[in-house]
Amino acid sequence: MDEFNDNEIGKLLRLKRYEQPPPGYFENFLHEFHRRQRDELLRLPLWRICFDRTRDFVLSFNLSTLTSYPAAVTAVLVCAAVISLRIYQTPPPASVAVKDRPVLVAPASTESEWTLASPVATRVFNTRSLRNIKESAQTHRSGTPRYVLDSVPVSYETTFKF
Amino acid sequence: MRRLSSSSLPKGLRLLAKLAFLAAAASLSAQQAPESPSAISREVKDVFERCSKAIVKIEATDQHGELSGTGFFVDPTGTLYTAYSVGGEAENIEVEFKGKKYPARQLLADLRSGIALLKVDLASPALPIGSSDQLEIATPVVAIGYPLDLAETPSFGMIAGFDRKCFGGYFPTRHLRVNLPPQRGEGGAPLLNFKGEVVGILLYTFENNSCYALPIEAAEKIRNNYMRFGEARHGWIGANVTEATTAVEGSRAVTKDVVKDTPAAESGMKPGDVVLQIGRTKVHEPEDILDASFFLTAGDVVPITVMRGNEKLTFNVQADYHPLAQPRAPLLAAPPLSNRAIPLNLQSAPERTP
Repeated sequence: MDEFNDNEIGKLLRLKRYEQPPPGYFENFLHEFHRRQRDELLRLPLWRICFDRTRDFVLSFNLSTLTSYPAAVTAVLVCAAVISLRIYQTPPPASVAVKDRPVLVAPASTESEWTLASPVATRVFNTRSLRNIKESAQTHRSGTPRYVLDSVPVSYETTFKF
Repeated sequence: MRRLSSSSLPKGLRLLAKLAFLAAAASLSAQQAPESPSAISREVKDVFERCSKAIVKIEATDQHGELSGTGFFVDPTGTLYTAYSVGGEAENIEVEFKGKKYPARQLLADLRSGIALLKVDLASPALPIGSSDQLEIATPVVAIGYPLDLAETPSFGMIAGFDRKCFGGYFPTRHLRVNLPPQRGEGGAPLLNFKGEVVGILLYTFENNSCYALPIEAAEKIRNNYMRFGEARHGWIGANVTEATTAVEGSRAVTKDVVKDTPAAESGMKPGDVVLQIGRTKVHEPEDILDASFFLTAGDVVPITVMRGNEKLTFNVQADYHPLAQPRAPLLAAPPLSNRAIPLNLQSAPERTP
């Protein structure tokens, strides 16, 4: 507060004397707050949201008592079994990746790519892989953009002043 | 008595009668039958094919991350309109035009109208500017935008209303309420009539299948300001208006108070004056002030007609900067547009021979 003297505060107040919250500001406050909260949440990448949710879920349990249960031991054993099975059943790193590669670099607008079989899966797969290649090569953008169409005006008029 | 039959008429007359009957029947059927869906489809397709070349996808980044919206060219030098939310506070703006991406720079961002002007350095097609004053309820309109990550897409709808108030607040000027289904990414898309002229700019969605568009005249006022001054100059007189209990000369907009040291006070306006006209805008209700106020330009002289008692007075008032605008240097009288010098490169001009 030392950096402001009375004159500067008075000057600031004079500068702001016409500013009022727009009509409906307080009525819409809760709605706007939730909207911004959602926007803020969506800024985080998906893996971060999943990680946070999982961490909160795990920490909600009392781990010290949980570990004393035989269930925890069983769970650990099951996990170890599953992991070992997956390791033994993993196919050798043969030419699968090489075969898939031409599909990944195909142009996005090629209509022949679109088949009637499992359209959703095809589209997601192609779009995702092509987006990564395209972005890294041309636009240097990452992630899904925010598609803009506002639901409330960016400004309101105060009253009938002219 | 001789019976008059059709065979008794001359042959030429019968032919004429048949033609007249056919013409009358055709005109009657044309009046009664509504336009078929295929005819509307053809109109929309025609507008889409003619106009979509001048409509672009805009990608940028702002403080929230990456964003995507729509814009459209309004002159052949690459000037384009978009929504404030798309180009108003964004950086690294890129415009996708004919399959290529071009960097764009912001010329102007106007929070009050909710639009932004961008510029791309290329020769571009341009959409013709129409008039929203000719729109009526149920006039068909077409919007063309870039929803999500899809290609340019037409949407067909009709004018549903002309609103000054919504969402619990007042718009800066009358907005067009349009019944067409907008989608995310279409902010800044042009609203077109069936002639392919721009009549509005899509700004806000309203419920699911409706949206609000800024009339193109309001956007053109901002662009005109930019061309004259290099900025949006919202004007202000300094009078507050409220609703009168009885109408005087057809107006219920009575001056509530006049702010000290403002153009209104200096011109002689007083509380109690009933405002009849501001510039070319006739005032009937206090809400009419919004339209008149929006089209005021700081520095311009505007005639204001009021009724004081039984006397009709006209004040010529030079508008000042709007109080919500950034503080600026004192106003000088703005030169008219025609007097502005157009920069020319004389060295590149061809030599004339007498």
